[in-house]
Amino acid sequence: MTHQMHAYHMVNPSPWPLTGALSALLMTSGLIMWFHFNSLMLLILGLATNTLTMYQWWRDIIREGTFQGHHTPIVQKGLRYGMILFIISEVFFFAGFFWAFYHSSLAPTPELGGCWPPTGIYPLNPMEVPLLNTSVLLASGVSITWAHHSLLEGNRKQMLQALSITIMLGIYFTLLQMSEYFETSFTISDSVYGSTFFMATGFHGLHVIIGSTFLTICFFRQLKFHFTSNHHFGFEAAAWYWHFVDVVWLFLYVSIYWWGS
Amino acid sequence: MAEDIKTKIRNYKTAPFDSCFPNQNHTRNCWQNYLDFHRCEKAMTAKGGNVSVCEWYWRVYKSLCPIFWVSTWDDHQAEGTFPGKI
Repeated sequence: MTHQMHAYHMVNPSPWPLTGALSALLMTSGLIMWFHFNSLMLLILGLATNTLTMYQWWRDIIREGTFQGHHTPIVQKGLRYGMILFIISEVFFFAGFFWAFYHSSLAPTPELGGCWPPTGIYPLNPMEVPLLNTSVLLASGVSITWAHHSLLEGNRKQMLQALSITIMLGIYFTLLQMSEYFETSFTISDSVYGSTFFMATGFHGLHVIIGSTFLTICFFRQLKFHFTSNHHFGFEAAAWYWHFVDVVWLFLYVSIYWWGS
Repeated sequence: MAEDIKTKIRNYKTAPFDSCFPNQNHTRNCWQNYLDFHRCEKAMTAKGGNVSVCEWYWRVYKSLCPIFWVSTWDDHQAEGTFPGKI
């Protein structure tokens, strides 16, 4: 029987990269069909195949790592690099929206009245729900740190408690933000103010939902005893992502909600 | 250098260098003088003063601003949709 002479993981052939790429094609062409030809079919197909790909691909990673032991220290190091690089790419993604915001708000054009907020735009009061949202996310940063420490100390019950608090705070943020969206007197089509506001906060909200989902997966994995006190990279990756989402909010709050009002 | 404003207006050829607007793009220069003229005019007529003190701003914005911009802004003012604070 031949064994590999290294600690790396030679992954078995998998169909999920292909189905993922196909789902990306279906989603993009689906968007075109929806925008221009009033048909949702292709988009729904794309979203479904995308969700199935994600579920099965990550399920396989859990099987390979947690159940089959392929995630040796060097493999875990690679996963860490991967997550860090991904988060860095997301930082650049948000940098674009912040650039757009500052470009338009630092030198407001005559069409806006030469002022920011533009004439006729009444921004949300930064000291009301947006401030609450800030405290909710900051608190969730504390609770996720508590969860991590509990995990490191082998305290199962507290880890589950702290993680569930974190998830509930994330859901609370999402609900508050959704209600704020109904409260605004402006829409996305109301000058560059509306565009920059909803693009930046909208993508942030999407990332909160993604982060909350990731944390929820970790919650169920913890219930099923997947994590040990010294090997729980999935949880760490979720925690890094969650902190990233929190930091983006802080920049959003200071720039758009506070300075931009 | 400290010429009388009347002399400056009498000798006016075009908008002179204004250190508030040192760059190549004079959009803000046009906009600011347009606003300043109309603010001055509004303030003087409200107090019953002499609008001719506002002439400098009028001269500068007439020199700098594209005619299309001025007519659009004048139309907006007439409609009540002008976004600037006057």
